Amino acid sequence: MNLSFFDQFTSPYLLGIPLILLSVLFPTLLFPTPNNRWVTNRLSTLQLWLLNLITKQLMIPLSKKGHKWALILTSLMILLLTINLLGLLPYMFTPTTQLSMNMALAFPLWLATLLTGLRNQPTTSLGHLLPEGTPTPLIPALIMIETASLLIRSLALGVRLTANLTAGHLLIQLIST
Amino acid sequence: VLHTTRALHTAQQRLAPLPPLPEKGGEVRYGLIPEEFFQFLYPKTGVTGPYMLGTGLLLYFLSKEIYVINHETVAAACILSVIIYGIKKYGSDVAAFADKLNEEKVAKALSVKNEAIKDLETAIEQEKKEQWRVEGCKYLFDSKRNNVAMLLETNYRERLLTVYNEVKKRLDYQVAMQNLKRQKEQDHMIQWVERNVAQSITPQQQKESIAKCILDLKALSKTAQAAV
Repeated sequence: MNLSFFDQFTSPYLLGIPLILLSVLFPTLLFPTPNNRWVTNRLSTLQLWLLNLITKQLMIPLSKKGHKWALILTSLMILLLTINLLGLLPYMFTPTTQLSMNMALAFPLWLATLLTGLRNQPTTSLGHLLPEGTPTPLIPALIMIETASLLIRSLALGVRLTANLTAGHLLIQLIST
Repeated sequence: VLHTTRALHTAQQRLAPLPPLPEKGGEVRYGLIPEEFFQFLYPKTGVTGPYMLGTGLLLYFLSKEIYVINHETVAAACILSVIIYGIKKYGSDVAAFADKLNEEKVAKALSVKNEAIKDLETAIEQEKKEQWRVEGCKYLFDSKRNNVAMLLETNYRERLLTVYNEVKKRLDYQVAMQNLKRQKEQDHMIQWVERNVAQSITPQQQKESIAKCILDLKALSKTAQAAV
């Protein structure tokens, strides 16, 4: 069977059984769950060191209240990192090249930030719709534009990841031949 | 996930104390296939059994085109060789790094304990020194007591001397008064005697005495002339 360059982006099937779930969950198998030992084996130590590094990088600029986002952001970062890097190997499928997965990741997170901002500080979040220092006649048009950009943001995030990964992996395949 | 190790649910699960981590991980051959597989096949097929199985499987997949050779195969071979080379070269360094992380963690906790012990030991030594100082205080108090006694003694003697001097002054005054009085009486008496004698010398007596003196002088002058 002749493989074209786009075959790496088709959802994997084995004898008619969709393997998409397996391919999404496979990267999680590579990280052993941390057990409740204090001095762990080498793999767990390295993994914990990496997690600490990433979490520190993410959380140091934030205030104390922002630290409750630490778990979801760090785990999201590690998941995407692993999925994307593993997709570079041959015979591996990258789930993030599918628009469905990226939209599933982007839309809830975007909606969560929007609703959290609206609930906790409604005036400030609505105030973000207008950049500072705009001349008065432009205000209605600018508010429309900002609202549209806000609503489009989820779509933009999802499509951005998809496009980047697809293009990247494809480009690597093209360059390597 | 091995929190605890028990063989196939035969014994009770014990959560603490955790059994220690084994020194080495499971033995693998060629980094992928555990030794247990080779041992499992050894009784039936001997040493070359698993290798024959592997070769047979590979050739079967290749011949029946279950495993297709395409561009990905070449890519897989190259990437695999690079990965193996990287692991062989940097594997020990990464392991040493992981070990160092663990060592630092344990050393930090140990250092807390050691510093606490050291602080307590210095506290004990200082306490002993304070006790020694308290013992030495006895001598200090004795010497201070001697000092104070000496001061008191000196002060008492000084005051005694002052008293003696004062009393002597008063007694000297009394003695001087008596002497003065006697002197004055004596002088007065002498003056009175002289005055009375001078008064008692009448003119008649005066002439007689002068004439006698002249006669005496003449007589003396005669004898004196003779001597010369």
